[in-house]
Amino acid sequence: MRGIGAQEAKGFWADAWDRVRRRPGAMLGMAWIAVMGFFAVFAPLMANAHPIRLERLGPDGQVLSVEWPLFAYLSPTDWLLMIATAFGVPWVFLGSGRLGRAGRIGVLVGLSMQAGATIVLAALLVWAAEGAGIESLERLTRLDAGPWPLVLASAVLVAVLAMAVPIAAPLVRRIGPILGAAALGFALSWLAGGQSLVNHEQVILDEAAGKVRATWTLIPWSSQYTRSDMVGIPPGTRVADWEKTASFKGTPFGERRVLLGTDAIGGDVLGQMLWACRLSISIGLVSTGISVVLGVTIGALMGFFGGWVDLLLYRVVEIFMSVPTLFVLIVAAGVLPRNTYVMMAIIGFFSWTGAARFTRAEFLKLRKMDFVQAAQAAGLPVRAVLFRHMLPNGITPVLVDASFAIAAAITIEATLSFLGLGPDGQASWGKLLSSATAATGTFVWWLAVFPGLAIFLSVLSYNMLGEAMRDAIDPKLRKAAH
Amino acid sequence: MATYLLRRLLLMIPTVLGITLMVFLLVALAPGGIGAGLAVQGGQMSDTSKVAQMQAYLEDRYGLNDNVLVQYARWLGRVSPLKFGTTPLVAPTGDLVREPRDLPEPVMMWAFPAPAAFLVQYTPPSGEALVEDFKRLQRDAEGTRRTYVGSVRGMKDALADHVRALGAPWISRLEPKGGADPERFRDLPLEGDAPTLIKLRAAAATMHVAWSDAEAARQRATIAFLARPYPAAGFEIVPNAFSLGAPDFGVAFSRNRPVWDLIATALPVTILINFIAFPIIYLVAVPTGVLASVRRGGAFDVISGLMFLLLYSVPVVLTGVFAIGFLANNQYLGWFPVSGLHDSAAATMTFMPYTDVAGTWHRGWLLDMVWHLALPVLCLVYAGFAVLSKQTRAAMLENFSSDYVRTARAKGVPSRDVIISHVLRNSLLPLITMFVGIFPAMLGGSVVVERIFTIPGMGSLVIEAINLRDRELILANTFMISSVSLLALLLADILYALCDPRVAYD
Amino acid sequence: MAAHDTIVTTASKPIEPLMSVEDLAVSFDNGSGPRIQAVAGVSMSVYPRQTLAVVGESGCGKSVTAMSSMQLIPRPPGRFDAGRIMFECRNLLELPEREMLKVRGGKIAMIFQEPMTSLNPVYTIGDQIMEAVLLHQAVSPDEAARIAIKAMADVGIRDPESRMRAYPHQFSGGMRQRVMIAMALACRPDLLLADEPTTALDVTIQKQILELLRGLQHSTGMGMMLITHNLGVVAENADVVCCMYAGRVVEYAPVTELFDRPLHPYTRGLFRCIPGLSELRNRLVTVEEVVADPREYQGLRSEAGPVVPWWPFMDQSQRPALDDPSKPYALVEVSPNRWVGCWRTPEVARNPSRPPRIAPA
Ligand SMILES: Nc1ncnc2c1ncn2[C@@H]1O[C@H](COP(=O)(O)OP(=O)(O)O)[C@@H](O)[C@H]1O
Ligand SMILES: [Mg+2]
Repeated sequence: MRGIGAQEAKGFWADAWDRVRRRPGAMLGMAWIAVMGFFAVFAPLMANAHPIRLERLGPDGQVLSVEWPLFAYLSPTDWLLMIATAFGVPWVFLGSGRLGRAGRIGVLVGLSMQAGATIVLAALLVWAAEGAGIESLERLTRLDAGPWPLVLASAVLVAVLAMAVPIAAPLVRRIGPILGAAALGFALSWLAGGQSLVNHEQVILDEAAGKVRATWTLIPWSSQYTRSDMVGIPPGTRVADWEKTASFKGTPFGERRVLLGTDAIGGDVLGQMLWACRLSISIGLVSTGISVVLGVTIGALMGFFGGWVDLLLYRVVEIFMSVPTLFVLIVAAGVLPRNTYVMMAIIGFFSWTGAARFTRAEFLKLRKMDFVQAAQAAGLPVRAVLFRHMLPNGITPVLVDASFAIAAAITIEATLSFLGLGPDGQASWGKLLSSATAATGTFVWWLAVFPGLAIFLSVLSYNMLGEAMRDAIDPKLRKAAH
Repeated sequence: MATYLLRRLLLMIPTVLGITLMVFLLVALAPGGIGAGLAVQGGQMSDTSKVAQMQAYLEDRYGLNDNVLVQYARWLGRVSPLKFGTTPLVAPTGDLVREPRDLPEPVMMWAFPAPAAFLVQYTPPSGEALVEDFKRLQRDAEGTRRTYVGSVRGMKDALADHVRALGAPWISRLEPKGGADPERFRDLPLEGDAPTLIKLRAAAATMHVAWSDAEAARQRATIAFLARPYPAAGFEIVPNAFSLGAPDFGVAFSRNRPVWDLIATALPVTILINFIAFPIIYLVAVPTGVLASVRRGGAFDVISGLMFLLLYSVPVVLTGVFAIGFLANNQYLGWFPVSGLHDSAAATMTFMPYTDVAGTWHRGWLLDMVWHLALPVLCLVYAGFAVLSKQTRAAMLENFSSDYVRTARAKGVPSRDVIISHVLRNSLLPLITMFVGIFPAMLGGSVVVERIFTIPGMGSLVIEAINLRDRELILANTFMISSVSLLALLLADILYALCDPRVAYD
Repeated sequence: MAAHDTIVTTASKPIEPLMSVEDLAVSFDNGSGPRIQAVAGVSMSVYPRQTLAVVGESGCGKSVTAMSSMQLIPRPPGRFDAGRIMFECRNLLELPEREMLKVRGGKIAMIFQEPMTSLNPVYTIGDQIMEAVLLHQAVSPDEAARIAIKAMADVGIRDPESRMRAYPHQFSGGMRQRVMIAMALACRPDLLLADEPTTALDVTIQKQILELLRGLQHSTGMGMMLITHNLGVVAENADVVCCMYAGRVVEYAPVTELFDRPLHPYTRGLFRCIPGLSELRNRLVTVEEVVADPREYQGLRSEAGPVVPWWPFMDQSQRPALDDPSKPYALVEVSPNRWVGCWRTPEVARNPSRPPRIAPA
């Protein structure tokens, strides 16, 4: 025990990171996760049935008007994700300055979360105001300029809250970024439309008839766009070669290739798979975040206070441990509304026991250690001992296991979606997989192989990463590996 | 040992209560509520008011208008082996018969006073005639009750129509979905002859007639019930006040059968699958883990670790779909059956395989089941390999470097005996503990596997129950699955205590 | 070597040592770093009925030396680099596993420092003692049980019949160490390696255990290597003392002579930092203070001439010129039956000493 504090903790993590980096499996896993993350962020730009640019042509080919349907369609969250990734990620990796890389990641995540919170709050307020039907508010929200007073109010509120969060930097230095994030959140939720202005069917027909000229995204299919005349097309087929759509021969639409085939209701598999990255990545991260926060809090309470608090909470842990979690999850997902947030919440809510037990055990051990007793003896209040001294040490094994928890969450999402209990209106690998064995008894191999591979690779990546981290950090295993 | 067992069993009670309460709250508080599946099905029914009346009937039947905790307490009262109140009777079919419930009060009594309460005169016959009479009265009571509950619903609909006709400011008192809660309209003026008002009056009259019918039928049925047409269920301690009886899980409205019947056929299937899968997992994983630890760092260690990690990363649904698609579907290999636990001709099969006089080979009942179960069990086992073999390996390695193993070596114990009787013997303890972690997960996994392979076990049952929001079935399923899980954990505990002399039973 | 033997033992009948460690070197793989040289040229010998005490600070290689003679060093990561350990005319380091099994527990027994964890928690005491008996003696289980009961009675466990069926966790630390001794002695070994048998026990129990060991040694006539770092224990129990530092022997002498007149500065330091009862000091002297003093290294003579005691941290400028810088160390017999670890100067290399052997009188 050479002393405590940030210095040593950083050395510890840097050391662990070095060990992880030496494992090819872990690095491959991270590469795949990065690819998935990229697709998750940019899926709306890559796979969309909304043309980027739509020129309406007159009878003799002159351009009458130009529209940008894709940009009208992107929602505030889409914009935020793309802006944060496009500018934030290069800044984190290439930027320099007084902040270290970890600090830059923290700032990026913090500011994105602030802007995101603004957007969500604004949407909620507008929705509530519309629902409540209160006349004055109604007039407010029906202003042509959009519901800007509500949006402004949420931006201010979130910014004030963000300033109240205690972080190390002095107030003066963080006021700028926080105002920037507030402005971004305000601008996005006020300006970004998130509305569909085109009729896909019509655009395709018009394009075939030469009435419009469209510039499409890489994969000109949204995850939600389906055509009843294109059910079950095998991978690699040209649209014009498909019997039911042979009439499109010679048109731009007819020349398209359905790279990974279509599903049982005539949606493009590749487009859906790209969009599904969003669900997987976000469910994995958010539900694990929820379970870690819950578990660490409960575990820390048990380990720190011991006695009857421990006794009582441990019974709760035991209850959660002895239920077949997947079973209860199925029930919960079955009866609760089918949306992403509910799913994240229930997965998080039913998987915190591991984190709680780790933290508890670690705290019980730490409580007896010299430096904690010294801190207590020095008259530091319980809260300070808990957060400043015990939490950073106690949380390590939980973070190491978080990677496995993410893998498990992705599996659970796929399973629930497979069972038809997944979020409504969301592309999901599990949902695609479930349509592989249709009710008719035929087996559609491309609906099993491609989404299946994506699920497998994602789960494997997180497991590999977790395995490497565990080996890097668990001293007991490291000894055993000798 | 007995006290230890008893204490463990007693500790299971709060656990089961906690789990069922959690699920109960989930089901009860979820939007849509019970029977939501019916509303969906009701889309095919021509008359939407019929659907509404059906829902009203279900609400009445499950007491959904009460506080959630009251509902839960009522459910517990039925499931608990200690029963208070009137002793239920058992019909020859095995169904439980309860005392007819009190009727809910008519609504809007302040405007449309209900007929005065009355007592019917009825003397039940005795002997066979009583049974016949009771059956008739019971049907009668249930039918009139249904009509009455429906008429209350009709009354509310008529009220809502009237309020809508009145317009502001009354209309804002309607519930979000447009229903009317009569209690909110106590001050509604009811004079005049608006068409909606006339309809409301007619609805009230209908309701009152239905109430009188239902009340009379109920009283008659109660009298007949108290005359005991059937024997009492369970063991009466204080007649009609306190008795012991088997848990009653109610009737699944989606199948109109007692829940217990459904579970009694489904649970053994699930348990069977799990009990085939478990030995396989241990038989594969433990030797692999032992070998890996003995040849630590060697090729076997690395390859088995990697293989199992790969397998561990394949979700069950994926294996299931691939197995069905490529191994079972006739489009490809078609080696295995696609679904079910048995061939349709299983009932006529002999138990063991045999070759008949014509020289044709028959696989028999047992092989048929093995053939059907091969893929489901495969899906269930492989994920456990990684967890268990890794744990075995870690436990072995830890014990390898322990002091008592050094002692054993210093005594001159040969290497193989050291591994088996000292290292492995001590590694058994964490392996038993592992069971605690794996078993609930396996039970959950088997739900999914059953669903994929259409095996009529608990998994298929619960998904059906969820889709129809059949509360009784969901709750009973949860209760049974948790109990099985807890009993298995108890078994593991006992095993642990037997294996580790340091564990004291008291 | 043979020449030296005859010179010394002309007077009495030559007795061969029970076990002799000759220039043993053991190293361990350290993952990415250089190998850890746990033992680098250790020599010592034990005679029947003799108690050889091996002292030295923890980590100096005492246990590795003892475990090497049982081939209990895990290999890899361990490796025997050089030297041999002779026992009954065979090199224990090269004995095949099958032969080694007979030696372990049968000819040479070992007891360890940690009585709390050295017994297998899931087997009864009786089973564990009987396991040793059955392995090395061709007896029936009943006979083995009788031998086990006798062994337990010998080490002073009361009511051994019923205690046979008890589990280790039902015993106290001292009792468990008694069980370990009973287990070690049940097969009547010729040599007992006692690796800090009393370090984990409290003082009164320590005394009991050591008295027990001495008594048993007396009645069976076995040799004993007693590893300890308690000089009081050494003074009371040992015949010969081998003092080690950093994987080497720094001094090897009969116990009385060593206590009377320690020759190596490290040994002197060890003795000097024990507070005597009679003297009053303001503060304790540390070993470092003694060994850091250059004067301590002067004036030591051997038959080959002046020698300088070996010390790894000795100032570069003070070190004598070496014969071969890759072999800086040699154990030199500076006077009859007194060996000191010295720098391997050319004179020392030219007149090699005989290996350390102090036969009992
Ligand atoms: N299994 C092992 N792996 C690596 N190093 C070891 C091992 N066993 C012993 N050592 C090293 O050998 C040296 C001597 O250890 P040991 O003989 O146990 O010391 P002691 O004199 O206290 O008994 C120590 O520095 C230790 O680091
Ligand atoms: Mg030692």
